[in-house]
Amino acid sequence: MTISRRGFVKSGGLALFSLGLDPLFLERAAYALRRPAPSSAVLVCLFQRGAVDGLNMIVPHGEPLYYRERPRIAIPAQDVVDLDGHFGLHPSLTPLKSLWDNKSLAAIHAVGSPDATRSHFDAQDYMETGTPGVKSTSDGWVNRYCRHDQEHADTAFRAVAFGPQLPRILAGTAPALAIDDLQAFGLRVPQEAARDKLTRAFEQLYEGAETGLLASSSQEGFAAIEVLKRVNPAQYQPANAAAYPQGRFGRSLLQIAQLIKADVGLEIAFADLGGWDTHVNQGSSDGQLAARLRELGLGLAAFAQDLGERMRSVVVLTMSEFGRTIAENGNSGTDHGHATAMLALGGPVNGGKVLGRWPGLDPASRFEGRDVAVTTDFRDLFGEILARHLGAGDLATVFPGFTPNPQRFPGAIRG
Amino acid sequence: MGTAVVWRTGGRAVGTALFIAVLSAIPPFRLSAQGLSPRDSALHALNRLAYGPRPGDVDSLGRTGVMRWIERQLDFERVPDDRLADRERDFKLLNYDREELARRYGDAQRERREMQREMAESGDTTRPRGAGPMREFRELGGELQQLAVVRAVLSERQLREVMVDFWSNHFNVFVGKGADRFLTPSYIEETIRPHALGRFEDLLIATAKSPAMLFYLDNAQSIAPGAVPPVQRRRPGQEARAPRGINENYARELLELHTLGVDGGYTQQDVIAVARIFTGWSIDRPQQGAGFAFHEWAHDRGEKQVFGVRFQGSGMEEGIRLLKLLANQHATMHHVSRKLCARFVSDEPPDGCVDAAVEAWHRTSGDIRAVLRAIFTSPDFWAPQALRAKVKTPLEFVVSAVRATGAAPDSTLRLAQVVARLGEPLYLQPAPTGYPEAQALWVNSGALLARMNAAVALAADRLPGASVDLDDVVPAATDHAALVDAVNARLLNGTMSAHTRSVILEQLADVNDPAQARMLAVGLALGGPEFQRQ
Repeated sequence: MTISRRGFVKSGGLALFSLGLDPLFLERAAYALRRPAPSSAVLVCLFQRGAVDGLNMIVPHGEPLYYRERPRIAIPAQDVVDLDGHFGLHPSLTPLKSLWDNKSLAAIHAVGSPDATRSHFDAQDYMETGTPGVKSTSDGWVNRYCRHDQEHADTAFRAVAFGPQLPRILAGTAPALAIDDLQAFGLRVPQEAARDKLTRAFEQLYEGAETGLLASSSQEGFAAIEVLKRVNPAQYQPANAAAYPQGRFGRSLLQIAQLIKADVGLEIAFADLGGWDTHVNQGSSDGQLAARLRELGLGLAAFAQDLGERMRSVVVLTMSEFGRTIAENGNSGTDHGHATAMLALGGPVNGGKVLGRWPGLDPASRFEGRDVAVTTDFRDLFGEILARHLGAGDLATVFPGFTPNPQRFPGAIRG
Repeated sequence: MGTAVVWRTGGRAVGTALFIAVLSAIPPFRLSAQGLSPRDSALHALNRLAYGPRPGDVDSLGRTGVMRWIERQLDFERVPDDRLADRERDFKLLNYDREELARRYGDAQRERREMQREMAESGDTTRPRGAGPMREFRELGGELQQLAVVRAVLSERQLREVMVDFWSNHFNVFVGKGADRFLTPSYIEETIRPHALGRFEDLLIATAKSPAMLFYLDNAQSIAPGAVPPVQRRRPGQEARAPRGINENYARELLELHTLGVDGGYTQQDVIAVARIFTGWSIDRPQQGAGFAFHEWAHDRGEKQVFGVRFQGSGMEEGIRLLKLLANQHATMHHVSRKLCARFVSDEPPDGCVDAAVEAWHRTSGDIRAVLRAIFTSPDFWAPQALRAKVKTPLEFVVSAVRATGAAPDSTLRLAQVVARLGEPLYLQPAPTGYPEAQALWVNSGALLARMNAAVALAADRLPGASVDLDDVVPAATDHAALVDAVNARLLNGTMSAHTRSVILEQLADVNDPAQARMLAVGLALGGPEFQRQ
């Protein structure tokens, strides 16, 4: 299964081209060890809301206990896309295998929060504020990073969330944008001159009359409209025949790719996808979870293909508030657990590895006797990516009350 | 309570011609001791207890007296609501009963399975989009959303509609989840609406027994470990059902969201015990009407302890006992009261109004009317800093704009779709938390632009789902200053800032057509910052 990177690019590049993957990107990704200039580095955060079952996403198929605990929902060994002999991908994630093979995809297992909560609400909050156990934090860690990192000019598109609402992770005093759809962003008036006039009028209304959230949000909106006039999102065609999956998630990824290519100063993008709270009839190789993972896998693969060589300065990170119980429940589903798995994708990623210390499924090493234990604090993973990919200088202000320690970094970014 | 303020107009006391002359020039209110002008207090009450004023509402409230109006809203059964009753007849979902819907849903499921089997066999996957047996139920969800919007716009019992929205959100269910497609209408009609201003304990028990909640939070499938269902008639070849176990989902959200609150002092052991208590609380099959059913065989008859209180394994009764216990915990009173204050007073409500609500809750064993009355008479509710302190939710924004312009919702489902596009699709919040009461989620650049678009569309009578005739509200005028003053008086009830006024006037400078000028002034006023607040 393991082949050298050089050998892979030589022999496999052509084969992958026939699958529709751009060999140029593969080659650049394989050799791009240089850290990108801070101005072009992009982080894309994808939140799997509802707590993804990490064990059926990155499957520990080498562990008999996995099959014993999940008689109805385990992924049969013959269906698992093997990664390293011990772990493998859910078959729905097959589109990601070539990215694993070219070392731009890594999985981080047993990652999660030091807080024991099994409430979606709390755990998502903690993961977005970056302060597990502290409910009073009003801003998100991405926003704090933007506020403290002065190397970057604050452009309208520096931090963008795709969706109707600004998520907690981006909330705070630094400018951040929520965009449901780039094409529909702005005032809908057919004639350009009339539209510009009306836009200017609303801009003035909010400029002078308001302070606080209404004022700052509206200002960010009007600045973004200016930039989008230049980008012209209606004309966008994905490159390299990339085919994004239907639906909101695929569309968000497509528009993130578009913003990256348009050089509008995007540094951090955020999108989320739901449907992971599989208490009942979770399914195995097929079924509920399989369908959600298929959308995820197709979306990530299309994104990498569309961006081509731009992926050398992009890191995509998936995250989810916690994992699910090791044992299946009475309804062929799983209940709220503790640690889960996350995926990191992109040129700067130390790919082709399952990172993090794997605690195993043995009852003695479980959290509270039932769940996968957390061996990587999510702040060490997020902190590593901020520091080594985006060049963040001061992680202590991004994660108050916590000192990310390079010794504990899972090694998601190449040294 | 201690509000020494007389809210009602006291015009009778002074009978001089001078006073009458003054009355005809300014609205007949009296200044309050808190420094709120009577007009401000009328507008404040209409913004918070109702979905904003219609043309003339502020004045008529002044004649009634704000506190008397509030009492009438609390005593909603005596407020006639004929106009809404007429409109409700258009909604066919109100004619269905749950059992009938359940059977139709069962049929649709069967039909869909058959269609999928046929498609798999023939390899044909070209099913036309939007068609199919489930279409009826998707439309039902749309109709349910529209019904909520129409009621919010038209009902004279405004506070009741506000409270139905509050509780539907507090006890959130997701209409997109499986059987909740057909269970949610009866959830709103039979579980939430009858109890919206009743006793919290009754409401809590009603939600716990509601098929919609039992399905949404998976309790319908939670059974005692090892319990075996009675032998059911099986078709030949059909396998026995696999054994199942407890499901903690409802138990956790009951404690965290519905009652005690996340800091309510319970543990994981309590969650498990609560889940065991509710084993057997389930639903009949769709073919049998999908009503509430207690399955004796599925109930865990062992002893349980929930924060030190023992439950003996006595069947369904112990679940009722637990719900009554939870409804009357101090943590529950505080959690729910604080949330009510966040809705009615401010996003971060002062302790004073929360304490007053909790005190009323204690005193009346959770009479929701008494709790609300305590909030509406607390000084915090009438404090000047509470005025316009809250940003409207998308539902509040759309409904208040429609009401302010005297517009009428049409008979399509489109007005609810506007609310959804602004970020608040009703009954479609998948997370059991419901939507937040605070502004942070609603205010962002994209959402604000969407509101501006909706405002401009409404002013041009192009908002999907509502028709408006501005002649009824603001007469077209060639004098721009008079026009803007009329927009301020009629639509913004005098809240327009000098800055807004000058910006709108500047925009009108090169507009000669009076109808165009009015459209622009109304659009800017409704899309501007003042109208986003309540």
